[in-house]
Amino acid sequence: MTTGKYFGKSVLRLEDKNMLTGNVKYMDDIEIPGQLHAAFLRSDYAHARILKIDVSEALKRPGVVAIYTAEDFGDFWKPGPLLVPPPTAIDGSQFNARTLVPIAKDKIRYSGEVLAVVIAESRYIAEDAFDDIIIDVDPLPAVVDLEKAWEDTSVLVHDDLPSNMAALVKQEVGSYEEAKKKADVVVSRRMLIEHVAGAAMENRGFIASWDDQNQVMTIWANTQSPLTIRGSVARALNLAESQVHVITPFIGGGFGPKVMTSLSDDVLLPWISLKLKRPIKWMEDRRENFLATTSERDQVHHCEIVLKKDGTILGFKDVFYHNTGAYDSYGMTVPLNTQTHTISNYRVPNFYSEIRMVFTNQMVVTPVRGAGRSEGVFAMERMLDFAAKELGISPVEIRLKNLLKAEELPLNTGVIGQDFVVNILDSGDYLGNYQKCLAEIDYDKFRKEIQPKARAEGKRMGIGMVAFTEGTAVGPYEGCKITVSTSGKVTMATGYSTQGQAHYTVFAQIIADQLNVKIEDVRVVTGDTNLFAWGAGTFASRGAALVGAAAYLAAQKVRAKIFSTASKKLEVPEEEIELCEGSVCVKGQPETSIPLGMLASLANPMRGVVEPGVEPGLEATAYYGPPHGSTGSGAMGVIVSIDEETNKPTIERMVMVDDCGTVINPLVVEGQLQGGISMGIGNTLYERLVYDENGQLLTASFMDYLMPLATDMPEKLEIIHNHAESSLKVNPLGIKGVGEAGAIPPGPAIVQAIEDAFGVAGFEILETNLSPSQIYEYLKKAAK
Amino acid sequence: MKVEGDHLFKAPREVVFEMFNDPDALGAAVPGMQKMVKIDESHYEAVLGIRVGPVSANFSGTLALTDVVPPESVTLIVEGKGGAGFVKGVGYVKFEDLGDQTTLLKYTGEANIGGTLASVGQRMIDSVAKSMFKTVFEKLDKILEERWQKS
Amino acid sequence: MSEKLFPITVTVNGEEYHREVEARLLLSDFLRHDLGLLGTHVGCEHGICGACTIIFDGEPIRSCLIFAVQANGHDIRTVESLGTPENLHPLQQSFHEKHALQCGFCTPGFLMTLVPYLEEHPNPSREEIREAIDGNICRCTGYEKIVEAVQDAAEKLSQKK
Ligand code: FES
Ligand code: FES
Repeated sequence: MTTGKYFGKSVLRLEDKNMLTGNVKYMDDIEIPGQLHAAFLRSDYAHARILKIDVSEALKRPGVVAIYTAEDFGDFWKPGPLLVPPPTAIDGSQFNARTLVPIAKDKIRYSGEVLAVVIAESRYIAEDAFDDIIIDVDPLPAVVDLEKAWEDTSVLVHDDLPSNMAALVKQEVGSYEEAKKKADVVVSRRMLIEHVAGAAMENRGFIASWDDQNQVMTIWANTQSPLTIRGSVARALNLAESQVHVITPFIGGGFGPKVMTSLSDDVLLPWISLKLKRPIKWMEDRRENFLATTSERDQVHHCEIVLKKDGTILGFKDVFYHNTGAYDSYGMTVPLNTQTHTISNYRVPNFYSEIRMVFTNQMVVTPVRGAGRSEGVFAMERMLDFAAKELGISPVEIRLKNLLKAEELPLNTGVIGQDFVVNILDSGDYLGNYQKCLAEIDYDKFRKEIQPKARAEGKRMGIGMVAFTEGTAVGPYEGCKITVSTSGKVTMATGYSTQGQAHYTVFAQIIADQLNVKIEDVRVVTGDTNLFAWGAGTFASRGAALVGAAAYLAAQKVRAKIFSTASKKLEVPEEEIELCEGSVCVKGQPETSIPLGMLASLANPMRGVVEPGVEPGLEATAYYGPPHGSTGSGAMGVIVSIDEETNKPTIERMVMVDDCGTVINPLVVEGQLQGGISMGIGNTLYERLVYDENGQLLTASFMDYLMPLATDMPEKLEIIHNHAESSLKVNPLGIKGVGEAGAIPPGPAIVQAIEDAFGVAGFEILETNLSPSQIYEYLKKAAK
Repeated sequence: MKVEGDHLFKAPREVVFEMFNDPDALGAAVPGMQKMVKIDESHYEAVLGIRVGPVSANFSGTLALTDVVPPESVTLIVEGKGGAGFVKGVGYVKFEDLGDQTTLLKYTGEANIGGTLASVGQRMIDSVAKSMFKTVFEKLDKILEERWQKS
Repeated sequence: MSEKLFPITVTVNGEEYHREVEARLLLSDFLRHDLGLLGTHVGCEHGICGACTIIFDGEPIRSCLIFAVQANGHDIRTVESLGTPENLHPLQQSFHEKHALQCGFCTPGFLMTLVPYLEEHPNPSREEIREAIDGNICRCTGYEKIVEAVQDAAEKLSQKK
């Protein structure tokens, strides 16, 4: 199934009209009668011992209902769960689990860590009460610099560990040292990949409402993981899962950080609601979001590439430091993604990669769109640029020589990934993507005509051409339930939650085609744990591939039920029946038909006898778990011009070639890629979370954390879908994820183009996040 | 944050130095100072209102004078905290006698800033600090003028 | 509680409201929580993201940057004043057709910035549109389709005239 009436078409989104008119509810739009408001008092210090927190004065303020510090939670206080398992699948790996605590006790480990929760009649009052809370701490020096933190044991984030090492994971394919012996050229560099925020436009929020009569905890949360929260709240409060109902409202963007749980809100507020028997609401503000909601990137790479004279890669080595922040609850998803993506494009027979994951006095690091992939791709692409310079060949030539060809796939890279199985590059035409991109941007014309002409006029213009992969759609599994109701309308419920990815439309497209109903008659419900309670969560670009496949499988089961029920009712064999829009009819006799709604009633008899083994209703549940992830791939070409005076780069043109497998909705895919691209541009040129040497975050507002704006987008942006047909489909629909692809290649493509624009010997960019003043610094260095 | 600068006072070194040890003079000179009391010979307690861009808050804290070498030099240690964060700083102040009834004050120092003040206000802190120093010296000039003339 | 209350009268989407508010109550909070007009969103509370943009006496402003008491006697329009799901405003229709929204959180702010803009600039170029929305942040779309939607809406609106 690659096309249908809806599947494969640019169907306009079903959810739009209500969203456009302000007719949907986001987190802060939810108000529960009788609710109280929570505010978290957060630490100003990044690293300190807590001597005393005195809330007695604050409790006297009118409107303040309760204030809790760590002590007040008694035995309930404990470090949270490890949310992602340790990397035991990788031989010799070392991992020190120090999981997030819900509220600081004894010691503060990052600035923004929660010290007290104030519950009051209004949020204004709750924050007023902060002024009356007396906090006495003994400040400690902060651990901030990654490389220093690894070596230096004089200051420890976790006192019970001998060092600040969170993990050490080495993976080797072939033998790098052997390859190095045979190499003609060895190139090594140290590179930085800066710290960035997810920065969804909607901040996080949480409501816990304990219903004492019914003994049910209802939770509203704009989370990417409703089922994780249901499970953890049930466990923590000693309730059955059925007593915890998590609802996700409309969510204003996710991009990764909203996947994180075991934070102060989802741990403490249900407990407080149970205690006070009142609904408790908390909405994060932007500063809190910057300080304490997870963020990502922040790696230091020491890379070495060895090659033959003709540019053939013999081996690649990468020892990199990865900042996990103060705790490592989210395991090693990000650095493992980096490890798999470093060599996922090219023929690299010998590869050595070492993750040195460090604890620092900074907020916790978890995936953000791109999630480790961007870093691995940046490291490899940059090293190829440096190697090409060393060899005196063009950056394009070195890539054409080493890119994997369609016939080389599937390929087992031998590197274990975030899903703890060996990375398999399933299908794609990596070389073809790159060639297509070269042709589309007209690389030769730029080199022969445009650039020389610009130079002759004294203008700086450059081109960058890179390749990338996007590992997507990893397991374990997702599922859904499809029900045909007696009105003939179809409902699909999944535990997967939605943050703007058009799930209400794309899943409906799959189902409407399978059941031959109008798409408007398919209602998709996401992230309501009372309607569907199994699944892992929204991450790793896996919704369309996993939930989409489950929807397809469940729809087929429902279809089978429709046929068997109709065959009995119409007294004709199943082969003689077909689906007409919204009904079942006998082939060749469209007048003999039963509407689906009526069939749904018949499938639920109120009297009489039901044969053993028959399930009532036109309803089915299906799950889908892939054997391994599916790898999307592509290439990006960028043309930049540089302002004479300010050194500010302008992206004149960007061409992205992408292969995300079968496309359910081209319009939606394009939107995903464009959004990802803006994030990639932001990460490269504007966005940066800056911590000073004391662990203070200096960029906790949009005044200092610069988001990409409309005028920062390329003057001209073209996206080309280049699907390599392959017999190997990891999932039944051949879908690969596409949520993160856009964010991956802009970094290396833009810096390559900037270097090319200057064309200055020795001018080398060794980091992401490049302000005009940093470009100037690099130029100064080159001049020396 | 590092601070550095100098200021020329039109008074002999002893007079300038004495003024620096007078809480009333200092208290009057610092903009936003709401209270400044001497606890002992070398310690003061103060409450100060600061506004940095979007952040405004009261800070309470202590000022300690150490390594006092009259009338040549003094080291100031400031520690304050409030709703908008904390400040911890040390300043080294030297008084140079220029011989013509004028004194050159030179200072260097370093401050640690944390909390909202740092995370939201850091862009402005440098300029706020500069303008604060400017106001302090202007006020001290005035105070000095009055005292110097009186005596 | 102990805060003093001030009576205000504001006209919102053509309807007059009389309320008593604290001096420090932000207009955005007033619209959302006191009047229940939830279409106006708050993304940053410091005037940068534009999600809270409303039309104040005909001009787009950020409702997180002014207090409710300052709106006393003024005329306000929020996203709720545009179309309904059954009958979208032409700009909303273009946003729908061009896929100019994903999570939709920033969208009301874009719409309220653009409605007065299009009245004054019925025929903007791509470049002018990008300038016009440079004060609104969207993390999802990469702005491309928003620009397309505005071009499309400009056409639709000029045909209507
Ligand atoms: S919420 Fe008002 S501009 Fe961001
Ligand atoms: S659509 Fe999500 S922020 Fe714009």
